[in-house]
Amino acid sequence: MYIKPTHNLGQFFVNLSMRKILLTTFLLLTFLFPQTQDESNEIHMEETNNHHNDGNGSMVNNSSESATKAASIQNNSSTSEIIDAYLQLKNALTEDNKEKAAEAGNAILAAFSNFNISQLTEDEHKEYMEIVENAKEQAEHIVKSPIDHQREHFEVLSNDVKDLIALLGIETGTTLYETFCPMYNNPKGAMWLSETDEIKNPFYGSKMLKCGKVQKQMN
Amino acid sequence: MFVCIQFIPTNRNQSTEIFETDVTKIFEVPQNIQTLLNESCYDCHSNNTKYHWYDKIQPVSLFVERHINEGKKELNFSEFGAYSNRKQKSKLKFLISQVKDDKMPISSYALIYSNAKLSKSEKKEIMDWATTLRDSLK
Repeated sequence: MYIKPTHNLGQFFVNLSMRKILLTTFLLLTFLFPQTQDESNEIHMEETNNHHNDGNGSMVNNSSESATKAASIQNNSSTSEIIDAYLQLKNALTEDNKEKAAEAGNAILAAFSNFNISQLTEDEHKEYMEIVENAKEQAEHIVKSPIDHQREHFEVLSNDVKDLIALLGIETGTTLYETFCPMYNNPKGAMWLSETDEIKNPFYGSKMLKCGKVQKQMN
Repeated sequence: MFVCIQFIPTNRNQSTEIFETDVTKIFEVPQNIQTLLNESCYDCHSNNTKYHWYDKIQPVSLFVERHINEGKKELNFSEFGAYSNRKQKSKLKFLISQVKDDKMPISSYALIYSNAKLSKSEKKEIMDWATTLRDSLK
């Protein structure tokens, strides 16, 4: 009388552990297998990227004219996003618009993270990183500061963007104007970049919109 | 409750050495400026804070720690020498404008630590030093 139920109970446990094993295996298969596939996809993508980078690297090293041209076009298309975001900030400040300036600050941060640094040579890379570290810090402050403070950071950022252009160039067909306000940052004055030669002062906004003069045209 | 929170650990921002990258090791900093930096800035902007007894009591301790971390992220005189030339220049620019506008030292801090408060002439000393240093950088 006693043996039977024990036997049944034992069988029940055997069944239970088998079920457990089956269930675990099933779960493992369902969850792990797609993940493994994802991982292999990622690896595949990384490999593709590496190939892509290798391609770029060798293109830069290759001194043939077409290769250099191709590389510089790539540079330009990337700096143009940074320049666009910078001009968006500049225009917000000419309108005394703190919120829009803060948005532009975020756009600048995004543009820097979208920039593909793998295309840079070693020397370019070092200088680029220094410029970006500084520029990003300015943008971070612009996102969270009152407008006077935004303008102080904009002044520093303007020099960073100017140096970035000197390093990497601008897209063919784009014209920028280096404009100078002699009054801001007394007595030093301050520089900003504009897409137009019409003076609209971002350091003073409506207070002194027409203050400044074009110093240089960049193509 | 008060007793319990005393066991929340915080990191002390203290070191006995003066870092090789400390601003005073990289640039010539006159003694009067060194004293001012020490009294008014280094508690939050260096790797060495002079704590007071009440800074070690929770929840003050946590507040102070967070505050110091934020301060060091903005400007750390102990690591100034490791900054790029570009970064040094912008840090000095904002040091000048923050001191000029009485934004630094932060008023709540200067209120508690009366030593940290900068007089008008001390402000000028720091600003002049920072301006000269900034202009000397390429």
